[in-house]
Amino acid sequence: MKSVKLFGALLVTTMLAAGSAYGKSLVYCSEGSPENFSPSINTTGTSLDAARPVYNKLVQFEPGGTTPKPALAESFEVSPDALTITFKLRPGVKFHSGVNGFTPTRDLNAEDVIWSFERMWKADHPYAKVSGGSYDYFNDMGMPDSLASIEKGADDLTVVMKLKEPNAPIIANLGMDFATIHSAEYAKFLMDKGTPEQFDQIPVGTGSFQFVDYQKDAVIRFKAFDGWAGKPKVDDLIYAITPDPTARYAKLKANECQVMIAPNPADLDAMSKDPDINLMSQAGLNIGYLSINAQKPPFDKPEVRQALAMAIDRDAILKEVYQGAGQKAKNPIPPTMWSYDEGTADYEYNPEKAKEMLKAAGVAEGLATDLWWMPVQRPYNPNAKRMAEMMQADLAKAGINATLVSYEWGEYRKRLQAGEHQLGLLGWTGDNGDPDNFFFLAGCDKDGKPAGQNISKWCDAKFNELMLKARSLSEQPDREAIYKEMQKIHHDGVAWINIAHSTVFEPTRKSVTGYKISPFGAHEFQDVDVAE
Amino acid sequence: MLRHLINRLLLTLPTFLALMFVTFVMIRLVPGDPIEARRGERGISPERHAELLKEMGLDQPIWKQFVDYAWGILHGDFGTSIISKTPILHEFLTLFPATLELTICAMAFAVAIGVPAGVIAAVRRGKLYDQTLMGLALTGYSMPIFWWGLILILIMSNTLGLTPVSGRVDLIKYYYQPVTGFALIDSLLSGQKGAFGDAVHHLILPSIVLGTVPLAVIARMTRSAMLEVLEEDYVRTARAKGLSAKRVVGLHALRNALIPVITSIGLQIGTLLAGAVLTETIFSWPGVGKWLIESIGRRDYPALQGGIMLISAVVILVNLIVDLLYGLINPRIRHGK
Repeated sequence: MKSVKLFGALLVTTMLAAGSAYGKSLVYCSEGSPENFSPSINTTGTSLDAARPVYNKLVQFEPGGTTPKPALAESFEVSPDALTITFKLRPGVKFHSGVNGFTPTRDLNAEDVIWSFERMWKADHPYAKVSGGSYDYFNDMGMPDSLASIEKGADDLTVVMKLKEPNAPIIANLGMDFATIHSAEYAKFLMDKGTPEQFDQIPVGTGSFQFVDYQKDAVIRFKAFDGWAGKPKVDDLIYAITPDPTARYAKLKANECQVMIAPNPADLDAMSKDPDINLMSQAGLNIGYLSINAQKPPFDKPEVRQALAMAIDRDAILKEVYQGAGQKAKNPIPPTMWSYDEGTADYEYNPEKAKEMLKAAGVAEGLATDLWWMPVQRPYNPNAKRMAEMMQADLAKAGINATLVSYEWGEYRKRLQAGEHQLGLLGWTGDNGDPDNFFFLAGCDKDGKPAGQNISKWCDAKFNELMLKARSLSEQPDREAIYKEMQKIHHDGVAWINIAHSTVFEPTRKSVTGYKISPFGAHEFQDVDVAE
Repeated sequence: MLRHLINRLLLTLPTFLALMFVTFVMIRLVPGDPIEARRGERGISPERHAELLKEMGLDQPIWKQFVDYAWGILHGDFGTSIISKTPILHEFLTLFPATLELTICAMAFAVAIGVPAGVIAAVRRGKLYDQTLMGLALTGYSMPIFWWGLILILIMSNTLGLTPVSGRVDLIKYYYQPVTGFALIDSLLSGQKGAFGDAVHHLILPSIVLGTVPLAVIARMTRSAMLEVLEEDYVRTARAKGLSAKRVVGLHALRNALIPVITSIGLQIGTLLAGAVLTETIFSWPGVGKWLIESIGRRDYPALQGGIMLISAVVILVNLIVDLLYGLINPRIRHGK
């Protein structure tokens, strides 16, 4: 029996060997192992990156951009009351064949779309509880509150999505990974086999690359799939899982991989001088900010928050903490985002004036406050501790004694959300390119209570009213005018102190062409080629 | 002998229980939990957080969680990873061959160089060779693994191009499914030309890095054990009988000096498994060390607990084997009598 197994293994490895090694390969040095290959149940960038080559969505962001473009839906139409979206699916879209013993018998149709959304939405869906059944992104984006129904339209290629209330950002939401379209037929195939959990481990989709193999902590392999989007330029896409950034850089230098994620900031200078490496950079779709708890006196007074904004030397922070790789922020949304208000008058650094304003607001010299810093490095804040130390020194000049505080990351976030802090550093990286995806961070519910993500606990009735209004409008120019007004309210009320928008870096070998940095931190290889 | 073996096995039980308890409690003392660890900036509502804790059974009192866990282990169930939803034993068995292979190669490197180096140092006691070797051994012992690994990558891979940077296989040239989990064996089984050489190539740097500390310890241990033995009467007698220096050192002295060296090798296995955590991270080596590091970050309690228990079992087993080896090397030692 053992020899039969061994022979089988030999045969398989020989066959696998025969099928590889001779095509054009692209190796991407990723940073970790995925939790699984199902974007609907994932929240981490590592896992979403690992599944992305396999799947498509109804709409997808243009490569390197934030504009949602038709993908599996060749078109969509929003009704005049903005309550119904009708998607016309692309005909003849094939699913991957031969993965995990599955051979599709039909092309993509409405059933797949409905199945994919209902898995995340309906508790009685046969796959609702498979793999833990936690659909965080779907819930976080407010989809259960927005959706009224998803049904098949006039034919198999028409899907009708009905909303409870107008929600313009929903199209951008549908470009996010959680809205991936799965194969209902593959799900049934696995359920009949009694192995539904494999659905999230061995993925089948319509994407440009077909899943081949995953060896935990080592490698993920895909092969090119000639699907609806055309055949990719490389034959094999390989993710070499390399957790250490210095080792990733060494591999890139040795041409063991051609694209790498998350370079170590200390290596950027050497990378920029390396003749074999193309250090790409792009303004990040992010904001690093200092949250001021507006419910804790004296920070409940707008003039006190304004004084704080003038007390902090953000130019120095940009130079020292960001090493110049960023842009001073004056609005809560980054300048690359539509509706950004160039006209906002930024707060100047003026500690003397800040001191005067504090005095005028009745704040005694030597006010004691806490100042929380994140224990982790994030794209929008490369060194929160250093930033907090610099702010502490700045605040001291304005007569405020800040005590630095930090906790373990999960604990830190939880306590901020509970509003335990007075001043706290945090930030945000955009999910979908819609301004609403930033403004909601300062949003409040209908009773005027801060929503979950609003750690500054700042509520402004007008700001909230405008945010809801903007969601109900489908025309971008109309929304743009509203968002500009919201930026003014945010600025005057100092919902938080905007610090900086960081620059994102991605090194590739010079032999790589067609690679674009995604504003969302995604890594996509459909259009990437590599010179041999 | 059998009684000794049974006694030793029974003695490991309280060790296991204590280890299980300490690991269980300590992991939970670390702030944060698996849910918060995944959420980042997005946060989670207290209601949803409580709901998820309940689903994972983490809302139960600690003592109940411990009893459930211990009961599971008694039935061979190490739990399921919170993150990957895969049984811990399966994950461990998938990754452990890589760690074991690296450990064996590192130990082979350490023994192959450390023992002869220690012997020569003892024979040439006080001379330049001895002093240099002991200086190097001290340096090797004190060197931070992470730094040493990166330096070797920089020199051997990036500057000289002699070895690959990391991983177990050239991902573009070779592709084979793990059959045994040992790259050296799987590469041979694959039948692909050059695959075995490639696997050896990939093992060189991590083996050197992981083997450096044990090499230093073994060299020093061999030297001091040899010095002691070389002073013994029977060695003097052997020399007086006119036996060649090679025979006296190699046969009479070394065999007796090996007892403490083997003890040290056994103890070093534990050090190697601990050192593998860093080595595997630097060299992207898909073993249990790297898995444990990620599990800490993700607060994957079952993976951490199970991983530590299973690694401890391996260390205890190795020490047991070493204990039994004494009798084989020196027949004068008889256990249980």
